[in-house]
Amino acid sequence: MTAELVGRPVRRREDERILRGRTRYLDDIDPPGAAHAAFVRSPFAHARIARITVPDELAGLIGVITASDLDGHARDLPVQGFEDGRVSEEGHPLLARDEVRYAGQPVAAVLAESRAVAEDAAELLEVDYEPLAPVLDARRSEDTLTHWHRVRGDVEGLFGSAAHVVRASHSLPRLAPVPMEARGAIASYDQAGDMLTVWVSAQDSHRQLAGLAAVLGRPEDSIHVIVPDVGGAFGSKGAPAPETMLVAAAAIISGRTVKWTEDREENFVASYQGRGMEADVELALDDDARILAIRARIHADLGGYLMPTTAIPAHTTAMLMCGVYDIPAADVEVVGRRTNKVPTGPYRGAGRPEAAYFLECTVDVAARRLGIDPLELRRRNLIRELPYETALGWTYDSGDYRRCLDLAEELVEPEERSDEERVVGTGFGMYVERAGGLFETAEAELLPGGGLLVRSGSSPHGQGHDTTFAQIAAERLGVALEDVELRFGDSAEVPRGVGTFASRSVAMGGSAVVQAVDALKEKCARVAARLRGTSPDEVDWRSMSLAEVAGAEPGLRASARFESELVFSSGAYGAVVEIERRTGRLRVLRLAAVDDAGTIVNPLLAEGQVIGGTAQGLGQCLVEEAAYDEEGNPTFASFVGYSLLTAAEMPPVITEFVESPSPLNPLGAKGIGEGGAIGTPAAVANAVADALGGVRVDPPFTEEKLWSALREANS
Amino acid sequence: MKPAPFDYRSPASVDETLPLLGPDSTVLAGGQSLVPLLNLRLARPELVVDVNGISELDYIRSDDGPLRIGAMTRQVTLERSELVRPRWPLLHDAIVFVGHPQIRSRGTVGGSVAHADPAAELPAALVALDARIHLRSAGGARSVAAGDFFRGALYTAREPHELLVELEVPEQPEDARSGFAEHARTHGDFATAGAAVVVAPGGHAAIALFGAGPVPARANAAERALAEGADPREAAALAAEGIDGEHRRALCAELVRRAIEEATE
Repeated sequence: MTAELVGRPVRRREDERILRGRTRYLDDIDPPGAAHAAFVRSPFAHARIARITVPDELAGLIGVITASDLDGHARDLPVQGFEDGRVSEEGHPLLARDEVRYAGQPVAAVLAESRAVAEDAAELLEVDYEPLAPVLDARRSEDTLTHWHRVRGDVEGLFGSAAHVVRASHSLPRLAPVPMEARGAIASYDQAGDMLTVWVSAQDSHRQLAGLAAVLGRPEDSIHVIVPDVGGAFGSKGAPAPETMLVAAAAIISGRTVKWTEDREENFVASYQGRGMEADVELALDDDARILAIRARIHADLGGYLMPTTAIPAHTTAMLMCGVYDIPAADVEVVGRRTNKVPTGPYRGAGRPEAAYFLECTVDVAARRLGIDPLELRRRNLIRELPYETALGWTYDSGDYRRCLDLAEELVEPEERSDEERVVGTGFGMYVERAGGLFETAEAELLPGGGLLVRSGSSPHGQGHDTTFAQIAAERLGVALEDVELRFGDSAEVPRGVGTFASRSVAMGGSAVVQAVDALKEKCARVAARLRGTSPDEVDWRSMSLAEVAGAEPGLRASARFESELVFSSGAYGAVVEIERRTGRLRVLRLAAVDDAGTIVNPLLAEGQVIGGTAQGLGQCLVEEAAYDEEGNPTFASFVGYSLLTAAEMPPVITEFVESPSPLNPLGAKGIGEGGAIGTPAAVANAVADALGGVRVDPPFTEEKLWSALREANS
Repeated sequence: MKPAPFDYRSPASVDETLPLLGPDSTVLAGGQSLVPLLNLRLARPELVVDVNGISELDYIRSDDGPLRIGAMTRQVTLERSELVRPRWPLLHDAIVFVGHPQIRSRGTVGGSVAHADPAAELPAALVALDARIHLRSAGGARSVAAGDFFRGALYTAREPHELLVELEVPEQPEDARSGFAEHARTHGDFATAGAAVVVAPGGHAAIALFGAGPVPARANAAERALAEGADPREAAALAAEGIDGEHRRALCAELVRRAIEEATE
């Protein structure tokens, strides 16, 4: 009764429902009589709040909540730290008290009978601000919020005696995540049963639940979180948001069901952003171009406060600064500083694109300095034996870095030519990414008729869980794909899980599904053996059906909690670009994406992840930048100021998978959700530098920057 | 992102519309610019006059020679017009750069002209084609040359009580050819800059630049040079002269050159 499903390019089962509009996103939920919330947000990057004057009567206005109204009802958001580092414990307040630290920070919440009236009332609220000087450059900030420093090996000695020392500085601007569906939450409080119900557009239900419990000081079993269909997140709906917490507090304070669905402008200015890191990187190399040691100082522009996960990406960047190379010694420091901008947080890649960019660009600088082919320099330094513990302390579980690089070179067809009209260059970027880790849960239940119901602690927001998890479950139990039903996102129904981020869904959630289904299968076999009078090992499934088992023993179920160390996906990306001499316009002619995510459950969906990731990586290269003016005003608060790539800008992307199975989980899977966003910027940046004859420019590669760089290259 | 409160009227004819217009009212045509401005509360009219029900303003004809386009003609209708493309190809070439098909299927030619975004394609094409803009008010009617109509960013010669009713594009000289080039960050995005060019034997040359300043503007010196036989690159350099910023100047010169070459190839 085995059906080969894992490894097959099954089309997404969820698409028909989505394309027919049968989904239920947060804004589709309209509890009768709900109050609507709008936020009054700071127009200043930094200011003291002298006074807030609440408007007089306005038809339809229910009430206004300011920070003082939250005393005794809600605490600030908690902050997540990291190992061996120092992280400020001061979290983001739900509403500003006497100071605002970024333009867009929530100052008050207005509840009204409609969102339009709530916005009318928000305009009437008078806030007296006393503007203060904003700090916008992380390197100039004197307020350190996170710090981490690790030295392994005789870094100083190796740099002192090295034949070559190469230094380079790189910078990646902040990016807005821009999910198609913006954020939102609905909260309803049942006083009689003391039960708080929160619908929230999020990456999972249980981190939201834990956040609500911590902020509101409520036991977790008095909170019910429901995550409906989610139209994208890219990391931005992982950590609990101040607004979600406020909506929940407002429901308790007002006794009304409260709904908040943010608009695009709010999403731009108040949703946490990605990247915003700079690094000074040094490599010590011997005469054979072997990298002896790395030194890196990473400066993170963290924003006005630490959101729950703001500290994490820069730590990930630091831990990955040895990349795919066998570098025996490392000295890496992260300094995360407060600036008067919206906080940063995990955004597709979450520290890994930064590490790949900082390291891979420095490797290309080194190759040029040493007069050696960048691919040759890489090949001399690649890690060959796995598992491998890096100098910084993470253990890479599996991979074949040489094979990835060879394939990327072959697929991209390197090119270098210049004529009167344009210059062309080729570049490569390699990466290794932490994925998975922690735990994930699943519960498998045999349905009457022999179908299988799987409840997963992991939760989709565009990844295709309903298809990949069904493939895994159906194959394990030996049933058809159609016989498997998946459920996600309701904390009252699914087992307590971790969530969908860090490219962890298949490796962790999928492995939990494997274990739950295996355990259920054993139970089925025992029931079948009892029915047939044989031992469980001898059950002949040709003469025995799951429907019979379900009939004989209704409600059979089994659950699993799968735990594992981190797994490490890897890859090599190659890009060929051309720059128009007269305008500086950049065109990416083609991109080769080679990813090793271990065993691929569904190559079609995996390729979709790669292409989506490259689109975001290319967006970062070509147009995306969440820029602030000199007063700290966001210049990107709409799609006029913040541009996203369209299909018309997408070059041909040639994808290929190398499959080095992970030894750490039953599927052999690693993660594929972020590789495209991680590998692309480094490869394109190196191709641009190649075209510019070695002149280095940081993204976004605007026409103006490249045009000026070309003049520099020609002079 | 909900608009501030406003009153709404949807008259069925031009005559019904005119008395409603004034300093506190705004005309809603295709809504592709106005609705976002309302939602952002950047536009706060007391009265929105929706002219989408006025079918008498939806036409394209050239019975008497010049091309006459009713203000409520959808951009997509102009794009697909078999009357326009052979004789005024510049309009077709310009309109396909306006946003995306969804935007052009709703957006109107009159709306684009009345809105007067400095990065808009249609105003530049009209300036290059020596078009006239026809306006009506309760007190009468007048027309303004396209070159005089655009006064500043989002600011035109139209008075608040006037309704833009028609675009009149004259017949172009015999054997006239045109070229259009623009640069935008991404497909369908607002133009960073662009150029619309018409040339004809006998010394006719029209070059309009847009996105480079607050209004689409004719490059007179470049036109003269081109008419007198300058090569495209020289004329383009002249057209871009005086534009702020070295890169922007280089970009504009390149776009003018491409548009001239397209028109003269």
